[in-house]
Amino acid sequence: MKALHIFLGGCALLLAACSNNKSVKLFNTDAALPASPKYNLDGFKVITSFVNKTKATTSTLYGNDAALKSALDGNKSLAAGEVFTLVTWKQQDDEHWFGAKIPSKVQTIEVLKTGATGVFDYSRLEGKELTSSKDTLGQGERIGYILGQKPSVMP
Amino acid sequence: MKTDKKPLYQRKAFIIILILLAGFIGIQFVRPDVPNPPVTGDFTAPADVKAIIQRACYDCHSNQTNLRWYDKIAPVYWGVAGHIKDGRAGLNFSEWNKFAPADQKAKLWESINQVLAGAMPLPGYTAVHTEAKLSPADINILKNYLAGMIHSKPADTAAINAADRQYQHWQGKSTSFAKLPVAANGIAYIPDYKNWQPISTTDREDNNTLRVIFGNDVAVKAIKENKIHPWPNGTIFAKVAWAQLQDKDGTTHTGEFKQVEYMIKDDKKYASTAGWGWARFKTPKMVPYGGANVLFANECVSCHKPLANEDFVFTQPIKH
Repeated sequence: MKALHIFLGGCALLLAACSNNKSVKLFNTDAALPASPKYNLDGFKVITSFVNKTKATTSTLYGNDAALKSALDGNKSLAAGEVFTLVTWKQQDDEHWFGAKIPSKVQTIEVLKTGATGVFDYSRLEGKELTSSKDTLGQGERIGYILGQKPSVMP
Repeated sequence: MKTDKKPLYQRKAFIIILILLAGFIGIQFVRPDVPNPPVTGDFTAPADVKAIIQRACYDCHSNQTNLRWYDKIAPVYWGVAGHIKDGRAGLNFSEWNKFAPADQKAKLWESINQVLAGAMPLPGYTAVHTEAKLSPADINILKNYLAGMIHSKPADTAAINAADRQYQHWQGKSTSFAKLPVAANGIAYIPDYKNWQPISTTDREDNNTLRVIFGNDVAVKAIKENKIHPWPNGTIFAKVAWAQLQDKDGTTHTGEFKQVEYMIKDDKKYASTAGWGWARFKTPKMVPYGGANVLFANECVSCHKPLANEDFVFTQPIKH
């Protein structure tokens, strides 16, 4: 009888050893977007997404309804109240799929708002702290870059 | 000394053992057939890669099964025969040429990813067939082989033109259908996905696609409230894939729309497919993947199986 108990106890231990204790990481916490009054993506749609293999970054361009409508028209005629937001993350390897890269730390969040014809309000937030960039050099180029993005085909 | 023990053949234990032994011998005659059909188009790879795949996978995923004597004893044999049947049906390296080159590549990446995730070879199999276990050196050889297949280069004119044509045709409109396309398991194309929130993006270098994963309101609420383990019923994901279109500056844009895939959580309705309803619609015409074959979803489940602990979801959502 004693031998049987030992045997059963051994079996239970073996089964316990086989159970999967692998820890589960559910969220991509590295890439989390911090809450901030400096930008707002509520109700925004995806205009397009792209990556830069040289810089190892991945970006998603969001827009409010007006911005998306305008982008579909090649941003030929911009109206006031359009908001484009370009979020750029560093890339990281996807631990779930060899061969895939997913977003890592937020690098920049660029917010472009249109005012009266030809008037733009551009702000550039850097890093997880969303530090507002004081550097105005190259703003025109960035505005052109954001407005030059063609929407992704989503039938 | 007088003993009151009965003769051996009259003892209960002896009789039980005899019955069990007879039963054990009897079941040896119940033998499902495990034929080795001819190899019609064997998998090809550099010798070191092929040797690893042969050693670790071929017993169940080829027509060159090598049964050891201990595999042939029932009831173990029944399990072995079942594994070989399922294994060959899922992937057969002896009929490798049945796949188109792009599908061969996709199958190889999927297989090696199953190995990297520890889902394959089956742990129960390697526990007995220890020689099928992969060493860190083996894993490196496989990874290097795959990495060598990644080529990123600026898009050619054909790819640019194809993307342009598709864009001109689309111009922001949903494809209009008299009746929405429906997959064999009853799941219909959901045009509203593009109005949902993106929960992540993926740069898939293995098959040159870019992907955005959208979540419906239920999914987004669950993410906010940290209740995604398991995901609540009513959660829907839409994963959209485009061909990669690299420009001269190294930026890779979304080119041709390839497909949209859905995962719909309902642990009762879809209990037989891991609690999720699966569907994939290809091209802007939204052609249901799998055609009339309702079993297509088994393919989805087997690829997602290594993520059983994460409720079968590959994507780790980004909170905002």
